[in-house]
Amino acid sequence: MDRLVAAIKGEKADRIPVFCNLLDQGAKELGLASLHDYYQSGEYVAEGQLKMREKYGYDNVWSLFYVGKEAELLGCQKILFSPDGPPNVEHFVIQSYDDIHNLEIPDDIIHHPVFAEELKCLQILKREVGGRYPICGYVTAGMALPALLMGMDKWFELLFMGPPEVRDELLAKCSLFCQRHIAALRELGVDVIVYANPFGSTDFMPLQYIIKTGIPWMKQDLSAGTQGIVYYCGGARFNQVIESIISQIGIKTYYLSPLDDIATGKQIINGRGLTCGVINDIKLIDWSEEEIRQEVKRMLAAGMAGNKFLFGTILMPYKIPERNIRAMLDAVYEFGQF
Amino acid sequence: MILEKVIAAYSEAVFDTDRDKAFEVIHAAIAQGVTPEDIVFKVVIPSMEQMIKAISEDFDANLAQHFMASQIASQVTDEMVAQFQTSPETIGRVVIGTSHGDMHTLGKRIVSGCLRSLMIDVIDLGVNVSAERFVDTALEHNADIIAISSMMVHTARSEYGCLAVRQLLKERQLEGRIKIIVGGAPYTWDTELYNVVLADAWASDGISAGKVIKDLIMGMHK
Repeated sequence: MDRLVAAIKGEKADRIPVFCNLLDQGAKELGLASLHDYYQSGEYVAEGQLKMREKYGYDNVWSLFYVGKEAELLGCQKILFSPDGPPNVEHFVIQSYDDIHNLEIPDDIIHHPVFAEELKCLQILKREVGGRYPICGYVTAGMALPALLMGMDKWFELLFMGPPEVRDELLAKCSLFCQRHIAALRELGVDVIVYANPFGSTDFMPLQYIIKTGIPWMKQDLSAGTQGIVYYCGGARFNQVIESIISQIGIKTYYLSPLDDIATGKQIINGRGLTCGVINDIKLIDWSEEEIRQEVKRMLAAGMAGNKFLFGTILMPYKIPERNIRAMLDAVYEFGQF
Repeated sequence: MILEKVIAAYSEAVFDTDRDKAFEVIHAAIAQGVTPEDIVFKVVIPSMEQMIKAISEDFDANLAQHFMASQIASQVTDEMVAQFQTSPETIGRVVIGTSHGDMHTLGKRIVSGCLRSLMIDVIDLGVNVSAERFVDTALEHNADIIAISSMMVHTARSEYGCLAVRQLLKERQLEGRIKIIVGGAPYTWDTELYNVVLADAWASDGISAGKVIKDLIMGMHK
């Protein structure tokens, strides 16, 4: 935690903080037969997170199981598990506009039966590493959540071509869920909330749309404050949006896209918050250890000047060999020293 | 002269993701005597080709524009084709779907819309499609191309995905008759991945896929 606090203040610790997002790999670490088994138990997920942090020495743990958990809280009945990758939402809760009207947002997420295992996981993480390592939670923005409930193409169709009153009803409900989810995670002691919004990226939407329509909805999602909130667009680029987000919403941490230029992102943020340089972790599957080392070196050279910088990954693919995870982390620990 | 103005106005509406305006332009052109055939072949297709060219030259279009361009073009084409004097000939046929284990729908919908507007037949198999179903359907419908969309790296690289389709084409000696194209986020993050999964081609976005597929089909029909 000291490294993160130092980075936030613009001070130097021994090295920059490293957020390495290993999720599914916990099953392998525990010797479990399947990801399905792993994700049935909060104890398993907590143990997996603690073991992997201990083994590799990075600086964060996750309370997130998989992104589709939010859809399950809203009624999704079927998740498609894979042997070697993140689970997918298979049952879409919204099949018709009537389903939007009937969609109910739980008042109490913490005591919701679907949240029980995440609650257990969070309690264990808090007990074991609370205050020492940042505990991360993941919340999908109100504008992005409909994609998990009806599929991305149906959501695009409603967003751009559907009845405005139906679209706005769904956005209002999803924003309410987002607010309640953030409140629940904060109440449970989550330190860092990754606020995931691909619709806040210029790869997804025109800049003017983000400014005119996206930002007002983001303000509503984050009406309880931006403490601990990390702006993240699911790996999509957002350097062009940062200025508007800082001036209108006040988020202080930016988890860039691997395709964003780190130096440019940092220049735009200009000391007003933390910048996270994010590696293209899909390439970690095939890159050699030397290629990884050079890429990390390049990224840190672009981002470390002036502090207020950390290193991160997206959701690390299951197929990345362990030696490449180690090569990446060893390089960050070496080049990330002050 | 009328057509040039129609193309400019229609393209502007598509760029602005304004579906109502695009249809207004098309209906006004029809009212002025432009034929449905000319709308498709001299407005919709050239406009789509202009967009493909702009994207290939680093024009930074976003996903919303890709989606709306393909949907508007596809809907205008459907409306116009229904009014053609004679049924149009298609360039070729594509079987499209999301790879085994993948439930993401947006990419293939953009590609499908784009292809329909380029007068290419599309058979959409939906999501989580097995290799056998891709190949069997392509054979049954005499398709030229199997298009496989993947949003996640493990579904792109899976032994049940593109690799299995390639294996089946090889076993059934269909490789000279049916080509495989892949697309989706993992291919954008790793531009050599299409080689790893043994595809014939890939496209970086749904609109560009239209050109890649059209070129593949033209090459096969030479």
